[in-house]
Amino acid sequence: MNEQEGKTTMIIATHRLSRRSVLAAGAAGAALLAAPAVVRAQAQPIRLGSLTPLTGAGGAYGPRMRDAIAAVVNEVNAAGGVRGRPLQLVTEDDQTSPEAAVRAARKLIDVDRVAAVMGTWASSVTTAVAPLCWENRVSLFTVSGADSITLLPHQGYIFRTQPNSRLQMRTVAKFAVDEGAQRIAWMGPQTPFAQSSIEEFQQVAQAANRPFTSLIYEADKATYRSEVDQILRARPDFIMFGGYTPDSIVLARDLFRAGYQGKVMAPAYAISARMLEALPHEVTQGAMVYEPWPEVASTAYSRLQRLLGSGVEVDPYTAQTYDHANLAVMALAIGGDGNGLAIKDNVRRISQGGGQSVDNAVDGLKAIVAGQKVDYTGASGPCDFTAEGDITGTKFRYQRVDKGAFQVMKIA
Amino acid sequence: MLAEVAQLLVNGIVTGTLLAVPAIGFTAIFAVLRFPNFAIASHCTIGAFAGYVANVTFGVPAAPALAFAFLVAGLFGLLTDEFVLKPMRPYGALTTAIAAIALTVVLENVVRFAFGNDLRGYDLPIFRDWRFWGIRLGPQQVENMALAVSVMAALFLFLKFSRTGKTMRAVADNPTLAAIKGIDADLVGRIVAFVGMGLAGVGGMLLGLDTSIDPLTGFRVVLSVFAAAVVGGLGSIPGAVVGALVVGVAEELSLLVVEPTYRSAVGFLAILIVLTLRPRGLLGEKAY
Amino acid sequence: MENYLVAIVTFAGIYALLAMGLNVSWGMTGLVNLGMAGFFALGAYASAILTVRTGAWIPLGFGLAAIVAALAGAALMGITRKLRGDYLAIITLGFSEFVRLVAANEIWLTRGSDGISGIPGPWRGELSPAQFNVLFCVIVLVLVAVAYVVCERLRDSPYGRVLRAVREDDTVAAVAGKAVDRYKLQAFAIGAGIMGVAGAAYGHYTSYIAPDIFRPLITIYIFLALTAGGVGNNRGAVVGAFLVMAILEGTRFLWDVVPGLAAVQKAALREIVIGVLLIVVMRLRPEGLLPEPVPKVLDKETTR
Repeated sequence: MNEQEGKTTMIIATHRLSRRSVLAAGAAGAALLAAPAVVRAQAQPIRLGSLTPLTGAGGAYGPRMRDAIAAVVNEVNAAGGVRGRPLQLVTEDDQTSPEAAVRAARKLIDVDRVAAVMGTWASSVTTAVAPLCWENRVSLFTVSGADSITLLPHQGYIFRTQPNSRLQMRTVAKFAVDEGAQRIAWMGPQTPFAQSSIEEFQQVAQAANRPFTSLIYEADKATYRSEVDQILRARPDFIMFGGYTPDSIVLARDLFRAGYQGKVMAPAYAISARMLEALPHEVTQGAMVYEPWPEVASTAYSRLQRLLGSGVEVDPYTAQTYDHANLAVMALAIGGDGNGLAIKDNVRRISQGGGQSVDNAVDGLKAIVAGQKVDYTGASGPCDFTAEGDITGTKFRYQRVDKGAFQVMKIA
Repeated sequence: MLAEVAQLLVNGIVTGTLLAVPAIGFTAIFAVLRFPNFAIASHCTIGAFAGYVANVTFGVPAAPALAFAFLVAGLFGLLTDEFVLKPMRPYGALTTAIAAIALTVVLENVVRFAFGNDLRGYDLPIFRDWRFWGIRLGPQQVENMALAVSVMAALFLFLKFSRTGKTMRAVADNPTLAAIKGIDADLVGRIVAFVGMGLAGVGGMLLGLDTSIDPLTGFRVVLSVFAAAVVGGLGSIPGAVVGALVVGVAEELSLLVVEPTYRSAVGFLAILIVLTLRPRGLLGEKAY
Repeated sequence: MENYLVAIVTFAGIYALLAMGLNVSWGMTGLVNLGMAGFFALGAYASAILTVRTGAWIPLGFGLAAIVAALAGAALMGITRKLRGDYLAIITLGFSEFVRLVAANEIWLTRGSDGISGIPGPWRGELSPAQFNVLFCVIVLVLVAVAYVVCERLRDSPYGRVLRAVREDDTVAAVAGKAVDRYKLQAFAIGAGIMGVAGAAYGHYTSYIAPDIFRPLITIYIFLALTAGGVGNNRGAVVGAFLVMAILEGTRFLWDVVPGLAAVQKAALREIVIGVLLIVVMRLRPEGLLPEPVPKVLDKETTR
């Protein structure tokens, strides 16, 4: 029932059906069949589950997230697998619905017996599948924004690569003040982190003696003209967006039309390369974005970009799921039976605590087999985890849009 | 305060006008074929994507791209009605409506299969709004409104003066009588499926012009479309226009009294109030 | 594999409860309820809030779920009793979106979009996850059986005949001296109450509920289930629910059948297959797999 390595290769290679990829898949499949039966029987594959949103509201992110996981699986398999055991990626669609996601997770856990479920996006989906994961000793890697997730009684099985939302907002609010924001506003839809975002922004603004105003709107509307009017009555010169790309596009348009001249800032997953493509340059000019970033100049990020192809946008969620796969694979190599327990117990051994710095699982596996201690630095950050499974030590990369393209401002 | 209310009214009228186009499509199909065609969501999306292909891939300006959106969505409407919905109609309006829901799931995913989930924007300039006496209005909005109004005007002329239009109204008002007079109900059904869904496609593109499009474009607006058609009186074409304006304005004015997070709830409340007072909608159910 | 199958049967059982609830209002009485997700949500939230906040006995949660959903159903029907079916369809759809908005925004009550986690399940602490899975499956199947017996009783009783009379023509029923409004109200409330029980079952089984669960998608699935199974037939409701679940889950295993597609295309293809299969079922059996049996005795009220 599961995906074979050959098919995975071709899926990440191209988004459209191309004859070459079919041929490549056929060739890979043939090679697999030609391999001696004995070898296959000995090397029990380790299965990993991808549970990203391929349809529904998260659909704009999920496919690339899944492709990032597949890229790691292929690389590792091409290099001989994890201590001789090949990896098998099983993909399910969470449909951005907790109800559908629970059924999909059941299948991944009970039928495919995956060692890890990776890439859950919506906070509600993550919280819904989390109990299944910890009850069945399957590690769960997520990009979700709700801080409540790592507070669940998960016994160490959850790893969340999205930085704590309060910490993010505090950092970004300070950045806003440093950028000279005089009157600050926050606008976003109702999310698990809307209220905490507003509180953090308000605190920083108050401490710096800056007036602050906020507005929570209803997501997925075709226009926010009146909401924009309402927020502009406070005459802000710095507006923080709290939603995702569809809302941000509408907001950016409506702010421009209303004659807003001040600054705009958003997470990099909201003001994305897609958004810059979809809007005229003058609308996005000067908009700022931030995303979690590793301390050193990240080699993992450019490596991922190379793996996915230069035409594919590497958004923060894609970078994080790439890290999920690398972390899971290296943790499996440390020891254990190739199951979720092994991942849970070993992630921190390869993600932090010094040792040889690696930026991908293939190099990491070599070093681990050679008995070396490794410390993974990923595409989304240094990937160091607290006991609760939250990420620490992440820096942020700030970029500004100029003529429809991102220019790096700073990493701090 | 007065300027604020006036601004909300203007915003509501603009939104309502755009909403009116797909609402007319929905209500026209109901008038003739007597079932709520819930597949309208996916036809909005199909129109938006057809317009996108014309506008971005082939560089066609917005207005002619709109015609292309009409044609493609109309064609999908015609074919799916012929092969999926029509055979269901003898088994009741609701059975047909449920089949239309299954159909909309299929069509949404056909778009997803072909285009993926990535957001797309039309190739259009954006201008700063004009301001008159403290009230702002955008050139783009005026243009979209003009497009919507001309589509509606064309439709009214068609219904009023053309032979086909007159037969359509006859069938809608009294199918039995129309049959006695020898009107080909099948043909009229096909025309209304084409025109109705074509209008849905135009509506999807008009709404997309101001936002961005993805396979869920139709789903985001469809509740408001239903609301508009119901408020105006299901099956009444002028009613759909009035209903769309009422829903558009009510949602905007609601911002004066409730949190913006409850905007849709106000739309729902508006329907409830209107229907409590007038159980057949504002303009009743006469097609035209 | 067994755990998965048990879980799927449990979810199918919850769908069956929803489909039977829908059958009481729509199938038997002809009242379209596109607000199913809303009543499902009300039941789930009522039971979850009661048991999590006060530590109340879980069956009390189920009881409260039924009562809250039924009362909401009665209230909604009370307001909309004069409306024709098509209007009711859209009003109820709006109602379910309203419930979802409240669940997402009234954080003090519902914990907002974070959702409520850690909802207790019967003996969840004492049993292994696999044992709990089986136990809850049995509980849901018992609930389905009870609901089935109750609904069948209802259908065969004189009361059920009045409901059908209301469905066929409420003017005739009114002329025959039946308090049509009261019957409509009761039938809608009973249906909503069963949906509320399904919501409670969902929450106590998965231990987590959030506004996202109660989007219209689930209403669509249940409507398709009842239509495919046979509107007006309780056995059809159950069969339809299991059929829809089989289609939803079975299509997962098609992932590898078509090679050479991007992940998003495969996901889209899966949903296309789901939709097409349902359309095919409806085309082949427009009255459902198990059409409504013709009433044995046609009394004056049901003959027009």
